[in-house]
Amino acid sequence: MKKYLSIISIASIFLLSTPCMANDAPLIGISKITAHPALDALEQGVQDGLKLSFPNAKFDLQNANGEISTASSIAQKFKAEKVAIAVGIATPTAQALVNTIKDSPVIYCAVTDPVEAGLIASTTTGEKNITGISDMTPVKEQIEFLARIKEIKTLGHIYSSSEANAVSLAAIARQVCKDKGIKFVEATVTNSSEVKQAAQTIAGRVDGIYLSNDNTVFSALGAVTSVAKKHKIPIMSADPSSAQTHEILVAWGFDYYKMGVATGKLVARVLKGEKPENIPTIFMTDPTDVDLLINLDQAKFLGLTFPDDIIKKANTIIKDGQVIHN
Amino acid sequence: MIEGIFVEGLIYSIMALGVFFTFRILDFPDLTVDGSFPMGAVIMAMSIKSGISLPLGLLLSLTGGILAGFVTAAIHNYLKVPHLLAGILTMTMLYSINIRILGGRANLPLLRVETVMTKVSDMTQRFIPEEVAYLLFFLAVVLIIKLLMDIFFHTDMGLVFGALGNNQQMVVTQGINPATMKLIGVGLSNGLVALSGAFAAQYQGFADINLGQGIVISGLASVMLGEFLLKSEKISILTTRVILGAILYKAIMYLGRYYGYYINLTPNDLKLLSGILIIVSLMITNYKSMRR
Repeated sequence: MKKYLSIISIASIFLLSTPCMANDAPLIGISKITAHPALDALEQGVQDGLKLSFPNAKFDLQNANGEISTASSIAQKFKAEKVAIAVGIATPTAQALVNTIKDSPVIYCAVTDPVEAGLIASTTTGEKNITGISDMTPVKEQIEFLARIKEIKTLGHIYSSSEANAVSLAAIARQVCKDKGIKFVEATVTNSSEVKQAAQTIAGRVDGIYLSNDNTVFSALGAVTSVAKKHKIPIMSADPSSAQTHEILVAWGFDYYKMGVATGKLVARVLKGEKPENIPTIFMTDPTDVDLLINLDQAKFLGLTFPDDIIKKANTIIKDGQVIHN
Repeated sequence: MIEGIFVEGLIYSIMALGVFFTFRILDFPDLTVDGSFPMGAVIMAMSIKSGISLPLGLLLSLTGGILAGFVTAAIHNYLKVPHLLAGILTMTMLYSINIRILGGRANLPLLRVETVMTKVSDMTQRFIPEEVAYLLFFLAVVLIIKLLMDIFFHTDMGLVFGALGNNQQMVVTQGINPATMKLIGVGLSNGLVALSGAFAAQYQGFADINLGQGIVISGLASVMLGEFLLKSEKISILTTRVILGAILYKAIMYLGRYYGYYINLTPNDLKLLSGILIIVSLMITNYKSMRR
């Protein structure tokens, strides 16, 4: 009897799991790889951006808790729910969605190189049901920017070897430095507890440190800044929001919330009937998308000065410990 | 969706069978799994990318996993390191090796290439829907593996494995070297895990360095859930219940994700759910055997 009981209980679980969803408001599935300040801001932005034109939109917010194997379970769930549009935040979740959902639109965001990630064949055009927003940062411009403020012969870079985005940005930075005749010294980490050691190994040998969009490194940003301070090295970072609270000379990148809003607006365009295949990958290059933060206190400490045009261009300036928004 | 649960459950049941082999039969809790699962995935992905045929790719993944298991068993045997630590050591080393295999990358997509999945759906698309084809294919694969395991555990060597987990001294008095047996056992177990990783990568459409996160725990949960379902000492039932447990685990996690919001469960709570699942099934199993 007991044997049957357990079999019946399983059977009922499967019966229960038949989806029952019928709604006039569009259901949007958002799958993010893990809870993280930048990705959470992005997720919020997507909702706010879409609600501008679809105030009744419903959201199914899913989080893979960093377990890559869960990404495809989430994709299966979205498929079963027949979401109007599925949004994938970060590379693995977007890949799982693209692989599973074939007949409704999939929109990716926070993917640095969607071609390398296999999501689309080219960034100049969308694909049958796929389009999205790249978080490619202007690596070349960032490095040139730092080189304008201080002469850089050797540039240090710390990145996480397990993040696809960080690895592709590092490859770009390596190439940029090669073109510019700058020696590129890199250190990789596998988790945030290794960041301090990585910073220490390169600190003595470099004129500046460049940090790209890297979740692991940014979660241990304090470790990098403390080492850099000891060696009097400037840091150029791609994340202005964390630079408000850390000692970083320049941060130039975009606000993830703004990228989320842009994604939400893209979702709205597709909901209104635009075909994803006609929408090329969107890059966040508009000056209003990008924030520039400069820290005058750090400049003073390092004995550097910013040219006037940069000070004028900066959205956020940190002076005498105060955060000033321009 | 139900097909999705079954297909995923079947793919991960291959891994759970490997975990069952070390954990229950050999009594060798093996954490290599968190490294050998992504290892199978990256070997398969690289094989596909470099144009190696699919069966050969699967074979390479299997071999990679077996080698990883050998390393763990060798560390344990010859350096007298406790099994947990030996597994952690191998798992840690595999992180670097997996990145090497993947050519310095952290992630390799398998979205526009021929995989086992596309092959199965191409061959069957005229007769049955894609999901059903996947389901039948993995059902066949898992059944073959299960039958091979059942036969294996009836051979002399297989019987020694059972004895080794129960009473190592007895095996020693029979003139068998337990070290060699552990080498073979842990190797085979990780071979299965890597094979499961190779299928999982193709099912998901990419291989990723972090694919191993949470694999051991889902394997253990599957084994324990299975034990809660069926009570038996027969090997064919033991392997069957591991497979059922893996499917049930996927179903429960899926339900947590699907209906969890009714009881205010967010996706962030699912790790807690898998831990509690293991504890509850242990408690029920213990209670059942106490009453006996």
